[in-house]
Amino acid sequence: MRTLQSQSTDIYTEYVRDWKEKGGKVLGYACVATPVELIEAAGILPYRIKAFGHPDTELGDAYLARFNCRFCRSCLQLGLDGTYDFLDGLVETNGCDHLRGMFENWQYVKKYDFFHYLKVPHFLREDSLEYFTEEIQLMRQAIAEHFGAEISDDALREAIDAYDEVFAKLKQVYALREKVPPALTGAEVMRLICTGSSMTARDFSALLDEVLSEKEGARVPEYKARLMILGSATDEVDLIADIESTGALIATDALCYGSRSFWSREGESGDPARLLAERYLGNLFCPRMFTEYEKRRDYILETARRAGVEGAIITYNKFCDLHGVEAVSLRMDLEDAGIPVLVLEKDYGSKADTGRIKTRVQAFLERLGK
Amino acid sequence: MAQVEIRPYEGLINRVYEIFSIVDKLPLNMSDEEVEGIMHVLPADLAKTMRAFTIPRIRNTSLKFLGLMKKWLDGAHEAKRVGKKVMLVPFNFPPEIVHSFEGAWPITSEVLSTLGVAALEGQGERYWDYAMGLGLPDFACSANMIEVGSALTESDFAPDAVISDCFASCDINSKTHEFLARYLGIPLLFLEKTVDNSERGIKQYYKYFFRLIEDMEEYLGEKLDEERMRAVVENANRASELFWELWDLHKFAPCPVPNVFSLMVYGVRYTMWGTEEAVQVIRDMVELSKERLARGAYPAEAEVARSLWTYTSYYFDMGGLFNWMEENGITHLGDGLDLIFPQPIDPTSRESMLTGMAEIARNMPMTRQMGASSMSVQWLDDITWASRELDANCCIYCGHHSCKQTWSGASVVRSELMKRAKIPTLILQGDSWIKRMTPISVLQETIEEFVNNVVKKREAPARATG
Repeated sequence: MRTLQSQSTDIYTEYVRDWKEKGGKVLGYACVATPVELIEAAGILPYRIKAFGHPDTELGDAYLARFNCRFCRSCLQLGLDGTYDFLDGLVETNGCDHLRGMFENWQYVKKYDFFHYLKVPHFLREDSLEYFTEEIQLMRQAIAEHFGAEISDDALREAIDAYDEVFAKLKQVYALREKVPPALTGAEVMRLICTGSSMTARDFSALLDEVLSEKEGARVPEYKARLMILGSATDEVDLIADIESTGALIATDALCYGSRSFWSREGESGDPARLLAERYLGNLFCPRMFTEYEKRRDYILETARRAGVEGAIITYNKFCDLHGVEAVSLRMDLEDAGIPVLVLEKDYGSKADTGRIKTRVQAFLERLGK
Repeated sequence: MAQVEIRPYEGLINRVYEIFSIVDKLPLNMSDEEVEGIMHVLPADLAKTMRAFTIPRIRNTSLKFLGLMKKWLDGAHEAKRVGKKVMLVPFNFPPEIVHSFEGAWPITSEVLSTLGVAALEGQGERYWDYAMGLGLPDFACSANMIEVGSALTESDFAPDAVISDCFASCDINSKTHEFLARYLGIPLLFLEKTVDNSERGIKQYYKYFFRLIEDMEEYLGEKLDEERMRAVVENANRASELFWELWDLHKFAPCPVPNVFSLMVYGVRYTMWGTEEAVQVIRDMVELSKERLARGAYPAEAEVARSLWTYTSYYFDMGGLFNWMEENGITHLGDGLDLIFPQPIDPTSRESMLTGMAEIARNMPMTRQMGASSMSVQWLDDITWASRELDANCCIYCGHHSCKQTWSGASVVRSELMKRAKIPTLILQGDSWIKRMTPISVLQETIEEFVNNVVKKREAPARATG
C-alpha cells in the first residue's frame, strides 16, 4: 500500500514504464464503456486516462473552452504537453459531449496512428445491443489489424475471466471499506482503483491479493460520519482525502473511477463479442444512458444502504451536463429515502476550491449532527 | 435560490398565447403612425420585439410570420381541447412527423422559449429562475430551459408527451427532456442519432427511426394514415423548394434577403413545416426578397460584411442584432440553425415517405453536425460549404454558453476555416436567449470592431480560394 501511495498519482507509473521498456504497447481510453478485455486480449495494456486533479489547462484551453468540463481539459492538457506520449493510440467513446471534444482535439493535434472511435449507444434494447456487438467486432478488427495481434475467442474469454476475478476482489475490498469499523478510507480505495486502471488484470489481481491480506485486520482512525460520494467522472484522490480530513469517512461511492467501473458485468451470451456488449451496455450506471434513471437510482440506494451511510455527497464538475441535471432527481430521491444530501458543484483540480469544499462538508456534518 | 412563484396566467405558453392574440387584430399595410401607436400600449420588452418585426421593409411578411406562430399556438390549444396529444419536441426533430398524425400536435421548446423572450415582459427569465430554483444547473441551455422551466411549474399549458432526439448530439438537452418527462410523469419517446456516418450507421439510424414511428403509433393509438402523410410530405416538399430558392437569393450582393428572415425561416421550419400555411409564409419571404433584389434594395449604403453565423444567433434583442447589423452594412446570411438541408421526399408509398423523413431527421441542424462521426469535421464541412455557397467573408460563432459540444469544436473549426477558405471567425460569448450574460451593446461593439479591423482587410473572397 505504501508503494501504491507513492505511485498512484503518477501518470507514467513505474509499472507502465516497465511495460513499455519491455516493448509493450499501451492504448489510452477514458470511459468505463470501453471493453478493456478486448485490448488486453490483444496483449496490449489498457490505460485509463486520468489527470489526478492536474491544475494546469492552458494548452487544453486553446482547443476546448472554459465552458467545457475541466477534467477533460486537464486530460487534454496532459495529452498535448507530452505527458501521455507513451500511449500508442487512443480509443474514443461517446461518453459525453466534453469527452468527445477532448478526444477530437487530442487526435487533431497528436495524430496517433491508431485512433479508434467506439460508438456506444445511449440505451439498451435488442437493436442497440446488436449494433454495439458489431462495434465491438470492429474495434477488435481495428486493433488486430493495426497491432498485428490475433484476438481469438479463447483469448477474449480468458481476459473476461481475468477481469471477473479482479471485479470479485474489488468487491471484497468494498466489503472491507463498507464494514463497521472500516478497514480502508475512501481515498485509499480511489487510489487503488486508479492504480489498477493502468495495469493488466492479472497484475492488478495480484496487487489486490496483497491489499486484501494487508487490510483484513486494519481499522481506519475515528471518524464523525459515514458518507457516500457519487457524481461525475473524477480521479481526484486529493478531493476525497480533503473531504475525509474534515472527519467524514467516504464509506462507499458510486463514481466511475469507483464502484461503477466494476460492480456489475452481467451478461449471458456464449459469443464473447456479444457477451462484452451485454456486459458493458447493460451495466453502465451512467447518466449518459437514456431512460435508465430508475436503474441508476436503485443502484445508488442499494449501495447507500449496504454501506449504512448517514449522508451522501453528490458532486459534479462545473459544466458537467449529464450529472448536473441528474443531481436534481437524485437529491430528491435520496432525501425521500431519508438520506441527507450535499450537492457539491466544483471545479476539477482546483486547489483554490479546497477551502470552500471543506467548509461545505463541515457544514454538512453539522447538519447531520456530527 | 428561492423558488419563483408562477401563477397559471403567467405560464409561458399561456401568456404568449394571450399576447399573440393581438397579432390577429393587426392589419397588413399598417402605416408608421399606426405602428407607433401600437408600440405605446405594449410592454417594453414586447414593444422592442414588435418594433424589430415591424420596420417598414419587412412589416407585412413579419406579420404573416407572427400570424403563423399564432396558428401554431392555436393548433396546440385546439389539440388539447379535442383530446389530441400535444407533443413537446426539440428544434432538431422534424415537426412534420408529428403533423402526419391526426391525433398529435408538436410544440417546440426552443421556439416557445424564443417567443417567450420576444413577447413577455422580463423575457424568459422568470422560468429560467424557476428551473434554477429546483436545482437545475446554470449551464443548462436557456433555449430549452426557459420553456421547460415554465412546464416544470405545472401551472402552464402542459405537453402530454416528450419526444427527444437530442442524445448523441446534445447532452444537456437530452437530460433536460428526460428530467421533464419524469418530473411531469409523462411519456418520453426517443430517437438516438448514431454518431456514425458510415452506411451501417445510417442504416441503424433508420432502424431507430422506424421504431420511433411504431412507438408513436402505439402511444397515439393511431396507425399513420398514408394519405394524410402524403399531404404533409407534399407541403414539406414545396416548402423545401422555396427554402432553396431563398437560399439562392442570399448569394446576391448586396443580399436582398433581410437579416431577420434567417430566424423566420427556421421559426417556420421548427413548427409548421408540412402545412399549407408554412408554404405560404416561406413564399412571402421569397417574393419580398425577389422584389428587393429587383429594386437593389439594401438598408445600408454598402454591404461591408457578409457574415455566416456558425451556430445560433442572439434572440433577446431582434432589432439590436438582425436589424442593427444590416443597417450597418453587415449581412446575416444565416446561421447553423438554417442548415436544415431539406430534400424532396418521395411520396410514392408509406415506406418511401418514412425513409425520406428519416433522412430529413438525420440531417436536421445539430443532429447532423454534433451527431456525426466527428463533431468538428462535419460542422466544419457544412460551414465551409455554406460560406462558399453564400460567398461569406466572415463567420461569427455566438458562443452560447451552454453549447458545450460546439464549444469543444469551435477552436478547430475557426482555424480550419481560415486555412480552407481564408475566412476569419469571430468568437463571441454570451447566452443567446438571456440578456443577463452579455448585453447587446457589447455584442454590437465587438462585431463592429471585428468587421472594421479584420473583415474589411480581407484580401480574397471565399469562392476564390480552396
